[in-house]
Parts: sequence; C-alpha cells; structure tokens
Amino acid sequence: MARGYIEDRELELLLRPLIYTSWMFYPFFGLLLAGVIWLFYNFQLQFFEGHHFTGQGSQGAIWGILVADIVHFIGISHVGIAISAVVRILNLERYKQLARIAELVTLASLTTAVLNISMDVGRPDRFIFNVVKHGRFHAPFVWSMTVITTYLIGSSVYLYLAMRRDLYICSLVLPSHKRWLYKLLALGYSDTPQSRQTHERVVWWLAVIILPIMVSVHSVYGYIFGMQAGRPGWFNPFQAPYFVLGAIVTGFSFVIIVLAILRQTFGWQEIFYPRIFKGLGVFLGFVTWLYLYFLFSEWLTGTYAPPAAERVVFNDVLFGRFAKITWPATILGMVVPFWIFFIQGANPRICSIKLTVLAAIPVFISMWIWRYLIVVPSFYHPHLPYKIAPYMPTFFDWSLIAGSFIFCAFLYTVLVKVLPVLELPEEVRVATHSPVILPYYVSPYERIKNILGLIKRFTIPLTLLAGVGLIATGIITRETPPAPAIWVLGIITLWSLPLQICILPKRESARRYRWPY
Amino acid sequence: MPRWGMVIDLDRCTACQACTIACRNENNIPFAGPDHASKGRAIFWNQVLPFKEEGEQGYSRIRFTPLPCMHCDRPSCIKVCPVRATYKSEEGIVFQIFARCIGCRLCMCACPYSRRFYNWSKGHWPEIMQSAFNPDVSLRPLGVVEKCTFCVHRWQKAREKARSEDRPIREGEYVTACVQTCPAKARYFGDLDDPESMVSKLARSRRAFRLLEELGTHPKVIYLGEGEWREDI
Repeated sequence: MARGYIEDRELELLLRPLIYTSWMFYPFFGLLLAGVIWLFYNFQLQFFEGHHFTGQGSQGAIWGILVADIVHFIGISHVGIAISAVVRILNLERYKQLARIAELVTLASLTTAVLNISMDVGRPDRFIFNVVKHGRFHAPFVWSMTVITTYLIGSSVYLYLAMRRDLYICSLVLPSHKRWLYKLLALGYSDTPQSRQTHERVVWWLAVIILPIMVSVHSVYGYIFGMQAGRPGWFNPFQAPYFVLGAIVTGFSFVIIVLAILRQTFGWQEIFYPRIFKGLGVFLGFVTWLYLYFLFSEWLTGTYAPPAAERVVFNDVLFGRFAKITWPATILGMVVPFWIFFIQGANPRICSIKLTVLAAIPVFISMWIWRYLIVVPSFYHPHLPYKIAPYMPTFFDWSLIAGSFIFCAFLYTVLVKVLPVLELPEEVRVATHSPVILPYYVSPYERIKNILGLIKRFTIPLTLLAGVGLIATGIITRETPPAPAIWVLGIITLWSLPLQICILPKRESARRYRWPY
Repeated sequence: MPRWGMVIDLDRCTACQACTIACRNENNIPFAGPDHASKGRAIFWNQVLPFKEEGEQGYSRIRFTPLPCMHCDRPSCIKVCPVRATYKSEEGIVFQIFARCIGCRLCMCACPYSRRFYNWSKGHWPEIMQSAFNPDVSLRPLGVVEKCTFCVHRWQKAREKARSEDRPIREGEYVTACVQTCPAKARYFGDLDDPESMVSKLARSRRAFRLLEELGTHPKVIYLGEGEWREDI
C-alpha cells in the first residue's frame, strides 16, 4: 500500500478510500463485476424469452421474490437520507460522519430497486416511456414513479450539495492525476464563508423537505398492496405505516452492517467508535419492537373474527405452509435481536460492535423474509376456488436476487471509491482563489461570474414559477397524456432550484467596481 | 348506447367446456403444454371452474361455473393500470391494449375473479392449429396481459354492418363465440339496458346473482342459480 500523498494525518484518514487501493480490492471488484454481468445476462434472457424462467404463474404467484426484493431495496433506500436529514436537523454531532455513508446507501439501493422493477415488468423496453406518457392519475404505480423520481433526484441533489466542499478540497489535496475529476465535480466551488453558509442553509432546508418525501415513497408501496380489494391479506389501511416502519428497520440494520464493513476495511476505528454502534443498535431495537407490535396487531385482527378470505391467508402464514418461515423470521430475526439490543442498551458495561452487527444481520434477513410473506401468501388464496400452482422460486429467481444484491454492492463500492464518504473537517483550510480586485480592471472570469450572478436573479423566480406551473398543469390535465411527463418535468425543474442557488455565483455588488474618484 | 352483458344459466350448463374450446379457437389463445400448465401459466379467457360445496356427513357437491371476464361496471383492474392499457368502453366492455401494456401484472392482482392472464413465454401453437388462426384477432406479444374481450372483433363487424344500413345493432347480431357455441343454450348475450332484451329480462330474474357482489365491482356477467324452477320469461 503506497502511503504519503497527504501530509495532514486527519485528511489522510478521511480520504483513505480515494487514496489507497490494496491488492485485495481488485479480486473483490472483479467478483462484483462478474456478479453484475451474470445479473444482466439473466435480465436479457428474461427480456427476450419471457418470465417463464421464474416460478411464477397466472394461477399461482403472479408476483414473486423479485417484488419482495423491490420492496426490500426501497426500504433500505429510506434510511440513508433519513439518517442524514435527522443528523443535520437535530445537529447530532456523534453521528455526523455516518450521514454520507448512509446517503450513498440510499443512492445505491434506490437504483437497484428501479433496476428490479424493470426486471419484474414484462416489457421493460416500454415501461418508463409508457408510464410517463400514458400514466393514469389513479394508479399507485404512477404515484410510485412520481415519488421515486422525486426521491432519487432530491437525494442526489442533497448528496451533491452536502459533498460539494469536500469535492473541492479533493481537487486540491489528492494526487494530481485525480484532481481533474474532482475539479469537474466541484463545479467551480470556492471555499468562502459566504459559500459555506449558503450551502449549509440550502442543505438544511433540503433535509427538512426530503424527510416527508422519504415517508411518501414507502407509503406509496404500502398503498400498492393495501388498495387491492381483490387480494385477501393485502387490503388493509395499515399497510402504509407498516411499510414505512419496515423500511426503517431494514435500512437501519443495513446501515449498521455497511458501517461495520467500511470501518474494518478502511481502519476508521477512531471515527466510528463502539458507542455509535450502540446508539444505532438501541434505535434498531426500538423500531424492531415497534414492528413486532404492528405484527401482533395485524395477526390478532387477521385471526380473531375476520372475513373468511382473510382468515385463510393469516392461518396459512401463521400455522400453515408458511409457518416454517414465519416463526423463525419472527423469533430469530426479531425477538432475539430485540433482546440483544435491549440488554446492550440497558447495561452500560456492554458496548460491543460485534454484538450489534450480529443482531443486525438476522433483522436484515428477517425483513426480507417478511417482504416475501407480504407478497406471496395472498396468491395462494384467491376469492374463487382456482387450483393454484405452488410457488417455488427457481434458480433463475435466486440469481436475480443475488445479482441485485451484488449490483447494489458494486454500485456502493464504485461510489465509495470515487466520492469522499466522510465529511472533511471545518479546519481544513485550502488556498482559495479570491479574486484580486483592481479598481480599473475587471477580469473576464469576473465578468462571466457577474453575468451569471445577474442571470441568477431571474432564473430562480422563473424556475420556481415554471416548476409549480408545470406540476399544476400536469395535475389539471391529468386525464390527458402526457400529464405525468409534465408534472415529473415540474418536479425536476423544482429540484434544480437548490443547485442554482448554490452553483450560480452571487452577483458582486456594483459598488465594488465603481470608479474610486 | 347499449351496455353489453352476459347471462349464464347454471341450471342448463352441462360443463361440457365447449365454450372454453370455442373461445380458444376464436381468440387465438396460445397452448401452454403440461409443464407451463402445472405452473399455472395456461391461458383460459373462458374457464369452467368447479365449486365444491361441503355438505353434511361427508356429502359434497360440485357446481360447475363458467367464468369469462366479468366486464365489471366498476372494474378494479382499470384503476390500478399505470399506462391506461386497460379501459372500459362506452358500451361497457373492458378492453386491453396489448401494444401499450407494460406487463406489471397489477391488474391481475387487482382482479378479484382472477380473469387476467400474463404471457409468461412466447405463444406456442401446434402446427395444425396455426393454419386455423382467426385473422380478426391479433396474436399477443410476450410479456403482456390478456383477457376476454367479449369477442370485440365480432362487435366491430356487427357495428360496421349496422352503420352501413343506418340502424342500431339488432339483438342476436352480435354474440360472443362462447354464446354461439354453447350446445345447452345456457348462455345469453345482449344489451342489459334494453328492457326488452333476453339478457335484461333474465338479469331481473329472482334466480339472478353476480359473483362476489359484496366487493362492489358490479359485474356484467350474471348467473342464474342452479336447482330452482325455471321461471317463465
């Protein structure tokens, strides 16, 4: 391992993934790449030959484990931005360095979820175009497209603005052959107190805005299931909060696992000390307990005196063919980890990273199983007495699932190796390009900045108007295509606002260039 | 404007499945084969379903019920379709646009009658059947959902003929293949809004019921209960 590029010990520690690449990385990355190629090979096979490689059927499981995986990845994507937003809003200093690691989890898992959706639909070649053009206002899938687009773009903007200063510092301190990339990514950032303040303020407001969007994304997934009156076991007003809570459990368990891996790989023991894991474990324990309470309420309602169709589904999940996975998932994946977190939280002498990670892993697996138990059992019990083909996921199904996890890991690895995953400290002072002000001369660079500053005064209110106008037009013309394209364009336009505020330079005061006499 | 509907008299139905065969031939429905059929991938726009009724002392009885698409007045499949690939026409027929469907299968999940089918693989027909394709009905591509259309191509023909003669479609001029084929004359098809039509009279019968009425989908396929005296109409 080559060392010694950066003299500052703290910077070297924080930027380790960008500076060093051990020999172990190459075979690891090669394996991930092979997994991704395998996934796309299977995807093209399914695209050209159909979904018959899976274990699904029209009079069987219409949706299978891939849909469970979509819900799972959407769930993971929640917590990244949620952690970051909460840390920023509540100013939780201890967890500050966790924020970007979690944000990158959001980006990787949300992309994987979208990939999984395109793998699940029968016609990925036309699905995005048709949904955007012909999308029906009433359809939960269209809501889902809208909120996922909002969330994906919003979280990317949030991540970028929160990271822009660090990209700029990277462009100054990293080895010269890497600087061009960060210079390009920093988009002309200059590290002045004014610019920092603008970024901090904008990112804080973005954190406030993004939290309800995050809740809406998983609520919509709850609605996709909860609004299906034709499916016993799904039709439930409780689905949205149930899904949001499930997402928090899934995401927190995943972030704990990822954090432990990164800590071990890059030697960040002094940054992510055991108390951070203990704190995350206590919160995960609390939400796991809440999830158990939700499950209990649902089971009690579903078995006490429900309509016959509902009772059959719940009986099958609790005491029938699914019982052999329901109970291990509940006891080993939820009850036992909850007690581990509880004991660790209640006893000040216990503060173990290993214990936290060991409890988070079964929670993560159990949540995947719970997604499966939400999706599949209902298909075994349609309202009419059809002969249902039992669903047995095939090797192909499992290949898609394993490939999706590998794809997520691949994406995350690329992000970690390219972007600064830890926030660089306030004290890092790098020479800034403060413009030399001459009374009689204004440099072309300054002129361009000045013109951009002038343009900014008009573009911001115009963008706001255009964004709101487009969304309103989309909603008003919701019955005529391409209404979804219009409102999605409006959302994208609005998301460009924070970028404009931060990236376009502020116009210098005219007095500065006034003739001195 | 007519509102097309179907009445199936369970007292007359002999569960001979002629309707299923007629529907397959009329609509170019692909063959599944034993392997796909065992995985629930066979496509039956019309299917005769056995309802088992458990009686006392182990006595049970099977009632056979033919099931086409119910063409509901308030169809749950339409609301969930994200691309308007399924819609209800002015005459009440629930259509599927195969060229627009994205194969998300939400409509299949939403249909309480499970009357929608997905093309899990490329359509397959034995060689001898390929020479008997109905040229009026398009073959569905891979990865889309399909369903009974109340033989809409017959409606199109009937409508064109009626238009050319400047008159409305007469009763019996447009019937579906299953109705035309039924050897027991257990099926009736016509305008539910015409008080003089046969289906309208039968739909008002005391024997009339709809499947899963409690879900509020208002199906336009109406059944006449079995085992009761036939009323005079």
